[in-house]
Amino acid sequence: MSKADTAALIIGGGIAGLETALKLGQGGYTVILAEKESALGGNVAKLHSSFPRWEDPQELIKVKQAELKTLPSVRVLANTEITGLQRQSGGFTAHWTDRATQKSGSLPVQALIFATGFELFNASVYGEYGYGIYKNVVNSLEFEHLLGMYEQRAIHVPESIAFFKCVGSRDRSKGFPYCSKICCMYTAKQAGLVKKISPDTQCYVFYMDYRASGKEYEEFVRQVIEERKVRYVRGRPSKVVLENDKLLVRFEDTLIGVPMEASVDLIVLASAVVPRPETLALARMLGLKTDDYGFVEPVYGSPVRIEERIFMAGGCGFAIESLGAIAQGAAAAAEVTALFNKSE
Amino acid sequence: MNVAFYPGCSHHGLAQEYDHTSRLICSHLAVNLTEVEDWNCCGATAAHSLDHDLSLALNVRNLAQVKRGGHDSVVTPCSGCFSRLKTAAHEIRHDPDRLAEISRKLECPLPENVEVRHLLQLIVEEYSLDRIRALVKKPLCGLKAAAYYGCLLTRPAAVTRFDDPEQPRSMDNLLQALGAEPVTWSYKAECCGGGFNASEPVIALELGQAILDSAKNAGAEAIIAACPLCQMNLDGRQGEMTPPFGGKYDIPVVYFTQLMGLAFGYAWRELRFKKLIVNPRKLLEKYCLL
Amino acid sequence: MIETYAIRRPEAQESPIARQIREDLGIDVARCLECGKCTGGCSYAAGFDYTPRKIIQLVKLGEFDKLLSLDALWTCLSCQLCVDRCPSGINIPRIMDYLRARAHRANSNITHKNIEKFYEIMLSDIKNRGRISETIMMIKYNLAIKNLFANASFGKKLFLKGKLKFFSPRTHNIKTIQPLFRRLSEKDGQA
Repeated sequence: MSKADTAALIIGGGIAGLETALKLGQGGYTVILAEKESALGGNVAKLHSSFPRWEDPQELIKVKQAELKTLPSVRVLANTEITGLQRQSGGFTAHWTDRATQKSGSLPVQALIFATGFELFNASVYGEYGYGIYKNVVNSLEFEHLLGMYEQRAIHVPESIAFFKCVGSRDRSKGFPYCSKICCMYTAKQAGLVKKISPDTQCYVFYMDYRASGKEYEEFVRQVIEERKVRYVRGRPSKVVLENDKLLVRFEDTLIGVPMEASVDLIVLASAVVPRPETLALARMLGLKTDDYGFVEPVYGSPVRIEERIFMAGGCGFAIESLGAIAQGAAAAAEVTALFNKSE
Repeated sequence: MNVAFYPGCSHHGLAQEYDHTSRLICSHLAVNLTEVEDWNCCGATAAHSLDHDLSLALNVRNLAQVKRGGHDSVVTPCSGCFSRLKTAAHEIRHDPDRLAEISRKLECPLPENVEVRHLLQLIVEEYSLDRIRALVKKPLCGLKAAAYYGCLLTRPAAVTRFDDPEQPRSMDNLLQALGAEPVTWSYKAECCGGGFNASEPVIALELGQAILDSAKNAGAEAIIAACPLCQMNLDGRQGEMTPPFGGKYDIPVVYFTQLMGLAFGYAWRELRFKKLIVNPRKLLEKYCLL
Repeated sequence: MIETYAIRRPEAQESPIARQIREDLGIDVARCLECGKCTGGCSYAAGFDYTPRKIIQLVKLGEFDKLLSLDALWTCLSCQLCVDRCPSGINIPRIMDYLRARAHRANSNITHKNIEKFYEIMLSDIKNRGRISETIMMIKYNLAIKNLFANASFGKKLFLKGKLKFFSPRTHNIKTIQPLFRRLSEKDGQA
């Protein structure tokens, strides 16, 4: 068998899927990259600035996409949804539908990479925060869009913003018991970026504790608190009250131990990272085990191998920062390379 | 439909107009109410505050009386009674062993599977908004109303299992069907402090005032209540509250059953509006509803 | 008032009161994340001596005497906001009921005697009549707190509206109500 006879199907063209496609393509392997949306980049393409070094994620996507175009063995199928997966000897048959033209078809592949990403928990479960009811209560991905407009001076930066962490995370009543891992850092980035664009804007970050366990992460959060002057308040907000055009946040400052209020113009909810329903649907087609929440799981000892010929990368496995997703994307490419070399 | 009716102790005194209009609306909707035979007080805050088991026992007796009357479903217009009855029904379902002793004392089996509903809940669950709309003779056009649910109608959610505990909509939808304009406000499910109305009025006044302020800020001309304690506190104590910007509060606090009656074409006198402390006549005249 | 603290030496294991609450009520305070969501939205936390989050902490630390003398036990409105908002589903109002009942039985240092009195009057009314009469209850309460004019202007308004009734129906078969009180208090006596 030659490299042309073996093909890998990557489901999802976010930063993790992109990286896997790049590395496999650079090795000369045949790759089909199926992306449901019209453009590649997934969640990362929506982000403005990054932690821990304030770099530009959209630039990163651009560079990777340009590089991908130079690789002859990589076929990118945009607007393409994978609607069926079947096992066959030595691989799989994948059924696809083009969402723009409604055309569909199927193709044989010898390896599968789940790179379907994550989405955010629907925060309207928290009636006390008024998401979906009060305007000016947004989730953190919606806020990234606003950040882009603040940067371009397309709209005014509000005078005051409150960031709520752990909305749906670490909540066994209305959400999930787990920590969504990335919110502490991206919230620090979002508040820090606001203060860079508009130093007079008051930024409150409501936290239970801030989790900054990565290289330069702690320093990053300290910089946001100490130099960019973001007010960190230790307490989980309890209620948002509509007050004319303002939003009143009711909370306890748990360090001093008394109830307090803060009046703000905008509230950003760091909603829990949850698996996409599509991931679960695809996993079910192959009878793959997921965890209790619907994230796919690699076997013990491999960062990315789910089972023989099936791999994962990025947010479909759990909440992950973009650099971690890239690392998993590269690891998945290495696993596929090893598999295809063994098969050859 | 046939259902047992638990009026609660206020029905005879403080909330006569609510009792009367509850029965009136039910008969209009062809809900056949049979008062629970020889019911007892739900124990209210007093019982569960000093003796949780007593609170359960009192309400297990009530539920047993419902069964004895041949009913599997009971409705009450009072949120406080609803909460206590529903808590007992919940614990019978989830912790029957612990309640066994109570049933021995009552010398009757545990009244299992009695459905407890608040009157608002029964109406919105049994009657579609279209059916309500079809009954409206005099739409409450223009009336800006704050639907007030208070604390115990929707909470705790695990027990009440009715509407969204933080952003309930059922009464708003009902008011809309009657032609009124429900306002968006943030205190619809906050506590009014009515439980302390007699024993610690300072607290009741402070909390009640926050409700009035929030409703006023949202542009409401009336607050619509579904509980005698809330109504008594917000209406009866209104004169003792001092608005932050001077003057006096003058915001009618009306039972939702009274508004339903108005929209269904009943007269002022029949709906006992005169029993309210803050007179709603001017407001209702403004919208030609009398 | 300045409250000073003696240095305490809390035990590391589950405190006796935390264990009783777990065994009697099935509520495990170890689930508390110490986030303060209960307190931030509490209807009356600003008027409490100890806020709900701190009360859970007192349970963890086993500060039993302190817990029974809390003023917050009596000014808590049982509005159920905290239990619905708690990310760990800790039923704080139920814990408050439990502590309040124990404070009441232990006749401990209760700061809001008037609220306790009000509850007692109400329960005795139920015990004797099966139902309460708001009018009689208010009169009895005013006598008990030795302030005949408490709630006078409010009462007058209600009276003028014909809402105060001196005669109200009672539960006829009172024999079925009284045992609920008697035998339950017997059980409490053994405890």
